[in-house]
Amino acid sequence: MKASFSPWLDAITPALRELVGVLGEHCEYVSVLSTDSPGFRLSVSQRSKSVSDSNLTTERGSVVRVCRRGRWGEFAFNCFDLADIPALAARIEAGLDRQAALLDRCGAKNYPTGLPEDAPLELFVEKETGSFPESADLAALTERFAALSGRGVETIPGALDCVLSASSTHISKLFLSKNRYLRQSYVITEGTVRAWSPTADGDMKSIYEGVSGLGGPEILDGLDAKLDGAGQTMAELLASGRIVPGEYEIITDPGVTGLIAHEAFGHGVEMDMFVKGRALGADYIGKRVGSEKVTMHEGALCDESVTAYAFDDEGVLAGDVTEIERGILRSGICDTLSALRLGTAPTGNGKRENYAHKAYTRMTNTVFDSGTDSLEDMIASVDSGYLLRGAESGMEDPKHWGIQCVVQRGYEIAHGRLTGRVVSPVVLTGYVPELLGNISMASPDRGIEGNGACGKGHKEWVKVADGGPWLKTKARLG
Amino acid sequence: MMFDKLKRKLDALPCAAWELTETVREGWEFYFIRRDLDQHRAVHVTGYSVRVYAASKDGRSLGRAAGDIPPTATDAEIDRALHALLSRAELMMNPFYTLADVPPAVPFSSEPVDVEGISGGFLSAMSAVPETETEFVNSSELFVSGVTRHTLNSNGVEFLCSYPSSMLELVVSARQGRREVELYRLFRSGTCGREKLLGDAAAALRCGRDRLAAEPTPKLEGIDVVFSTADAVELYRWFAQRMNAEMKYKKLSDWEGGSGVGAGAALCLEALPSLENSSRNFPVDAEGGVIFPRYLIRDGIAEQFWGERQYSQYLGLEQSSLVHNFRASGGTEGAVALREGGCLELVEFSALEVDPASGDLAGEIRLGYLRRGGETKIVTGGSVSGNLRSAAPSLRMSAEAVRYDNWEIPAVTRLSGLRIAGVS
Repeated sequence: MKASFSPWLDAITPALRELVGVLGEHCEYVSVLSTDSPGFRLSVSQRSKSVSDSNLTTERGSVVRVCRRGRWGEFAFNCFDLADIPALAARIEAGLDRQAALLDRCGAKNYPTGLPEDAPLELFVEKETGSFPESADLAALTERFAALSGRGVETIPGALDCVLSASSTHISKLFLSKNRYLRQSYVITEGTVRAWSPTADGDMKSIYEGVSGLGGPEILDGLDAKLDGAGQTMAELLASGRIVPGEYEIITDPGVTGLIAHEAFGHGVEMDMFVKGRALGADYIGKRVGSEKVTMHEGALCDESVTAYAFDDEGVLAGDVTEIERGILRSGICDTLSALRLGTAPTGNGKRENYAHKAYTRMTNTVFDSGTDSLEDMIASVDSGYLLRGAESGMEDPKHWGIQCVVQRGYEIAHGRLTGRVVSPVVLTGYVPELLGNISMASPDRGIEGNGACGKGHKEWVKVADGGPWLKTKARLG
Repeated sequence: MMFDKLKRKLDALPCAAWELTETVREGWEFYFIRRDLDQHRAVHVTGYSVRVYAASKDGRSLGRAAGDIPPTATDAEIDRALHALLSRAELMMNPFYTLADVPPAVPFSSEPVDVEGISGGFLSAMSAVPETETEFVNSSELFVSGVTRHTLNSNGVEFLCSYPSSMLELVVSARQGRREVELYRLFRSGTCGREKLLGDAAAALRCGRDRLAAEPTPKLEGIDVVFSTADAVELYRWFAQRMNAEMKYKKLSDWEGGSGVGAGAALCLEALPSLENSSRNFPVDAEGGVIFPRYLIRDGIAEQFWGERQYSQYLGLEQSSLVHNFRASGGTEGAVALREGGCLELVEFSALEVDPASGDLAGEIRLGYLRRGGETKIVTGGSVSGNLRSAAPSLRMSAEAVRYDNWEIPAVTRLSGLRIAGVS
């Protein structure tokens, strides 16, 4: 069925059109993004249950973007009188005028930017979904999660508890400018299984498995299968040792591959960083940054994931950018204002945490292309190294091309065979061109995951997805 | 008006109890590329958070469902949302606990926050950051908010408080010929704190200069690690998390009141209602609990858990609350002495992460000072990893303290037993 567009947004559209018109009398550019995205968040374990109708992506509000005398400003709000749009316009102008007066007193100059293209465009997209969070049978879901949690505690060695969590959002967004009228609606859902077990020496190990995608709570059916392998994984973690720091040959599972994609040339080619001179990538367009085995795509059109929108939060249609082609850096990704400043075209990557936050260049789906090597051949080719599984967290460094990835566990490989020894946790660090330059094998299959969220620096959290095939390369592990 | 409407509807709802919070936020935001304005933003948002409770027939269980009601919601939407919350609360039965029933008898401010004045203070301070030809501000983002929170529950406990909350993201660069490095800082505070901000910015510029001269971190074994910047908060946050009632109830913390926390006899961790210029200075928590000063850990012994009413009551704590300001202390050594002997002082990470349950610690090294044999080398690259639970017995803290927003911690912290993965 179609993910129906918000009746609320349809109802306020005439008023917002009026707002664009009134503000347009004093502004070189005006646009409005309005959102109406209900959802839920549920958590069930053996020891507690909780439910809320808010999660990272639920919201209802509007943000106006204007350019006035060459100065870009935004006004975010969620209270207004539909019957008195001139009053709202006056409130917005007064609010921005107060800030402008302060900036003038401080002598602030505007960064030269120009005006975006506003070619006429209408779009109405309602993506497919199997169900909706608003009508989800939470009683049945809670009961099922309780049963799964119980199964987790029974089957995962030493588990103190097993937490089943889910969130689902029915997203509707409306974008209006003088010439653009864009509407989209889609549903995203994700779920996780998490369990903790103490080790004999008082340490604590945890496992984390997730499902996510474009669609309704039916996606959560996949959690049952995720629980199946959790007991074996925990047994391995409980018997794991610490790694001896050093450089190793590594094989990464699709989740760790995705984490590398995200931290290496996801953040590294966000072109708002090019404007600020904060990314080395700006100097490497057309140059080699990885081996022949490396091709990487980024865009909301790359996969039907939790970030598969039809247009971004600046009213730019979603794209599919080839960032790296056979090891050569081809292109970055760009929001609208950064594109104006760089003299290029936006790529549909302008995203906000929610309507009350600024739009930045952000990732959507960041994915390595697949190869032709089997996992068995990869393992056989490793003399001394680790097979890394379970992406946990990472951090980017676009200015210096450093990378940090925290990985749940590593399986030792010696002389082409898995030895059965497991290490945990593993911190992968390195220099991005070396890491990508050493990629020598890639598997034909690939996986894309969309659990978790991504920050810009240490703030501005948005949903992203990333992945790719099994890869073989070299890295420093600690 | 919306607040009163929601109160009336909640009163009429056949639920066991309810809580309602109105949060009004006026935000001023300024984004700069070097000294030029990228854009400015005004945020005027109002939120209504509702918690609806349902009790089991035997009175031994309580369920809760939380929700946000948009200020533009129609009467029909509100009614539908509240009844959905009640239905969901009935599914979420947990052991019974009670809501706040004593009005908080503490002074607090409900005066509007001067967001414009605070913003002006920040912009003035930022213009005074001492740049040079080779060390300069690359970009900055300023967020200033005035927040007013009005909370009421079905027991009649009601309070209103206003507070400022600010955040400045500062990226500084240092250049030598064609080579350029950057450092990232995220300062949080109540208002501007001009002198502290300028001091912190100057320190960041100095670190940038040092990073230009850094060599790859060598292989190191058995060397002590010294933490002397805001990342050290993550070490003390781990102790606070281990003393959290929810962590304890869910068995993710095995610490017991009256027992040692494995950090020697010195460590003290206090919960405080306020700290100078903290962005989290409000005397009452979101559930109506008065945030009173107390020791969570005293002289290395776990003393009192803290947290939500639900989990605090499960632990049998008669008096508890959420905590937003912390002080870690107990060191007797001087900061200078803690840097003596062989050590690696790490001052810049990509991100220093400590897992709250396991204590596993990891961070990529962006800048450090390797001190051994009477020499100091500036290093970069590689990583530090280890387990804080294992390393905690070696904890050494300076007597001198430093404040990072809502945390006051020893200026210098030294640990043994962490592993360094070098680059060369």
